[in-house]
This record gives sequence, structure tokens and C-alpha cells, in this order.
Amino acid sequence: MFLAHVNPLQASIFSSLAVVSLLLTFVMLGSHWLRNYVFAFAAQSWMIAALSACVGYFAGYPELYMIAVLTALFRGLVLPYLLLRIIGRLNVKRELHAVLQPSSSLVIGAFLVMFAFVIANHMNSQSLLASRVVVMALTIMLSMKFLGFLMLTVRDEAVSQILGLLVLENGIFLGSQILVPGMPLLIEIVILFDLLIVVACFGMLVRFLVVHAGTTSSRQLNRLVG
Amino acid sequence: MTLPNVILQICQVLCVLLLAPLLQGFILKAEERIQRSRGPSIIQPYRDLWKLFHKQSVVPESASWIYLIAPLIAFTAMLIVPILIPVLTDRPLPQSDMGDMLGGGMVLTLGSFAIILAGLDSGNVYGGIGSSRAVMLAILAEPTLILVLVGISLLAKAMLPFVVNHLLLGSLSIYWSPAHLFLILAFFVLLLVETDRLPIHSPTHLEIYMIDEARILEYSGPLLALLKWASMMKQFILYTIFCNVFVLPWGMSQIGTPLGEIGSIVSLLAKFLLVALVVIVIETVQSRLRFYRYQEPLAAGFMFAVLAIVSSQLL
Repeated sequence: MFLAHVNPLQASIFSSLAVVSLLLTFVMLGSHWLRNYVFAFAAQSWMIAALSACVGYFAGYPELYMIAVLTALFRGLVLPYLLLRIIGRLNVKRELHAVLQPSSSLVIGAFLVMFAFVIANHMNSQSLLASRVVVMALTIMLSMKFLGFLMLTVRDEAVSQILGLLVLENGIFLGSQILVPGMPLLIEIVILFDLLIVVACFGMLVRFLVVHAGTTSSRQLNRLVG
Repeated sequence: MTLPNVILQICQVLCVLLLAPLLQGFILKAEERIQRSRGPSIIQPYRDLWKLFHKQSVVPESASWIYLIAPLIAFTAMLIVPILIPVLTDRPLPQSDMGDMLGGGMVLTLGSFAIILAGLDSGNVYGGIGSSRAVMLAILAEPTLILVLVGISLLAKAMLPFVVNHLLLGSLSIYWSPAHLFLILAFFVLLLVETDRLPIHSPTHLEIYMIDEARILEYSGPLLALLKWASMMKQFILYTIFCNVFVLPWGMSQIGTPLGEIGSIVSLLAKFLLVALVVIVIETVQSRLRFYRYQEPLAAGFMFAVLAIVSSQLL
């Protein structure tokens, strides 16, 4: 495993890329505007693509370059484009009735990061992986998952919920790039196409909602109609 | 020739005392220049202080002794803080062991506490509103300040600003570590809030949303001059901490020769120029937040501080 002998330069490159993607999750959490969510998601995907290219370069996995290109293409361009199309067809520009205000969700997110760090530290001391990069990757992976769940929980708009799901998925992908970089190429491609299908289905669902329910906010959909 | 330590310490205090209006004047001038108007002269704050010191002082009938003593407390507090921090020399000078960073923070807060009391004491409605708003901001900003101090002491394993300065000078890898960069961002949010800048404080004073001006609305003459001078010195001190301890630890006198002191004043002004330009850009592109969104920049600052602490544990 290459993490056992990672040098300080590589460690700092990995950690800064990972930390910037965590920061972009916070941008999503702290903003009202749906368009900002999509842009932050695209930037985050580019960061993860750069990260997998770096891992591929330093650890000597040439297939990771391929994954980096696919990630940048699909997560960084195609998915944001589709999401922007969905947003453009909706009549919703911003998250109006969030359960939590952006500032409170930022503070809760900060606490979730601390929680993730505690868990990651614990996991590390059990499995005796002596590298601090592992703790960093685990922390950021877990905190991005928690923040994705938080977005799924506190946001009403359909588009923010799918973005929460995508952030969650990005977190797992980021962690897997650092922790198990030798994953088979096929699985990565399957995941990417799965995501594409998720967003496509979601676009259809949103159009259905607009036509039949007149709204895309989950707040309006908790009433039974016969 | 090396100057005695006591003289160096006096130089630090005098530097803060005498150059603080210059910084304020520069920021006001540059803001106007960016909006393509001429703006006041860069030495206008000196003229204002001179004018106010020659005016008569009027005291409201409802005011008590707190009203008279508050400007003196605020001014003295701002004279004490430069003793504790590296302004011109990067080593501890006599009496700089009076307090660490927490102590300096306490003395700074004591000054604003005195002004809050005076605002309540004057009996003016605006004074009360200003004090209540200032306390709310202090409640929101305090957790971030404490976490920034915790973060920097985790990084440097010490609470002394001199140690932090030497640590950042010594190792570039710590300077570029995520923990330190997040601390810079968190402290920058605090800097904007504490020096009466946008996105929270209004750039035009004397309007309905004023916070700092409201507290000192009843003051006039020399007491008002002292308060204004104290707030300029507070700005200068916070810029000094931001530059010399957090962002730009370079260019300070190490031995303490007269030439070195002059050089370090010049480099201090150059550093302030950089920071002030960033602040001016933010003031120009940002609009003031609504009252109920004040917590948003401070929550972001809090988040940066938490991230800094977490990442200082990581690498």
C-alpha cells in the first residue's frame, strides 16, 4: 500500500485538495442560491479529479488518469450542465423555506466535522495504520457524507436534495481515491454511469412533480391527496 | 548601536499611538479614490483630532461618572495592548510578559466594554440601541476569537504572539499548512467585524443602522477625540496582530538598532497597505447585510476556526 511511505509533499498536496473540496461542501451549505450549489459541486468534482490524477501519478496507477478524466467530464461538466438545465426549467432560484438558516447549518456542519474527526481517529488507532493521511482522508470522507446527509435532511427543494446525494457520493469517491486507489476501473465507470442515470431519472421526476403537483418543494408534498 | 529595551518598548507604543490616524486616513482616502471621487486628505484624521481637542466638552445631565471615565479606560487599554504584541521588534521586551494572547484580548475587550457602559449611561436612545447591538456582535464574535486562539496555541504549543511569529518565520511547511490558512481566514472575518467594516458595519456613519457611532453619539470635544483615537488605535492593533502574528511575519527588527526600527516601521506600513487594500476591495464589492443576517459571516468564521483546529490535528 502506497500510503505507508508517502512523503510530506505528497501528503500536503493530498490534504490541501481534500480540504478544499470539504470547503466547497460548506459553500453549498452556507448559500441560499441553487445555482451556487451546482457551481460548488462542479468545482468540487474538479478538485477530486485533480486528486485522483495526483494519486495516480505518485502511486503509479495509470488507470487513475482515465478515472480523473472521466470524473472531470461527467461530474465536473455533464452533471452540472444537466442540473443547471433542470434549475433553468423550474421557477425556483433559491431555497426559500429552509428548516435551518445557512449560518446555523454552517455551525452544525462544523460540529459534524469534529464528530467525523473523532470517529476517524478512533478507526485509525484500532487498525494501526500509521499514516496521518489516512486519518485526513477518513475525516474528510466521513464529514462530506455527514454534510450530504445534513443537506438531504434540512433542504426542501428537490434540486438541493439531489445535490445532497451527489455530495455524499463525492465524499465516498474522494475517500476511495486516497484509501484504496487500486480499485478496478470497471467499478468506477459503473458508478459514474449510475450517477448519470440518477440525475436523468431525477430530471424526469422533477418534471412530473411540476406538472402534477405544481411544486418541487418536499414541504408541499406531505399532504395526502385522493 | 542597540537601543535599550525600555526605549524599544516605548517606541512600539508611540508607533501605535501616532500612526493609527494615518492608517484610518489612508483607508478613507483609498475608498473614495476607488469610487472615483477625490476623498479627504490622508492626514484628515489628525486634523479632526486636533480640532476636537480644542472644542468644549458638553456632558448630558443624565450622565454619571461612568460617562466621563469610559473614554479614558478605552484609550488606556489601547495603550497597554501594544506592549504585549510584536509591533516593531520580534522579541519580548520589558513588561511584555504581563499577559499572553488571552490577556491582550481581554484588555482589548475591556476598552469596548467601557464604551458599551458609557453608551447605556448617556441616557440617549441611540446609545442604548448601539450598546445592545455591540453586545450582540460581541457574543457572536467571541466563540470565533477563542477558537482562533486555541487553534494558534495548538499550532505553536504556546500562547505568546512572539512564539507564533518565530514559528511561522522558521518553517514554510507550517505557514502553508491548512490549519494556518484557515486561522488566517477566521481572523480576517474577526478583523472586518471588529474594525467597523462591511459586511456588518455601515460605511456611512450617523445613520439608523450605526453601531459604533451610536454608542458615542452624546460625546463631544476632547472626550470624543479620545474615543475616536482609541478606535483608530484598536484598528491599528488588530492589523498589527493580523500582519505580524498571522499573515506576514517577515520584516521586523531583530536586534533593535535605530535603523532597524525605522526599517520595521516602513515594512509595517507596507504590510498594512496590502491588508488595507484587501479590506477596501471587500468594502467596495460588498453590500451591508440585513440585521438578521449578521450571524452569517461570523458563522463562517467559526467554521474556519473549527476546520483549522481539526486540520491542525491531522497534519
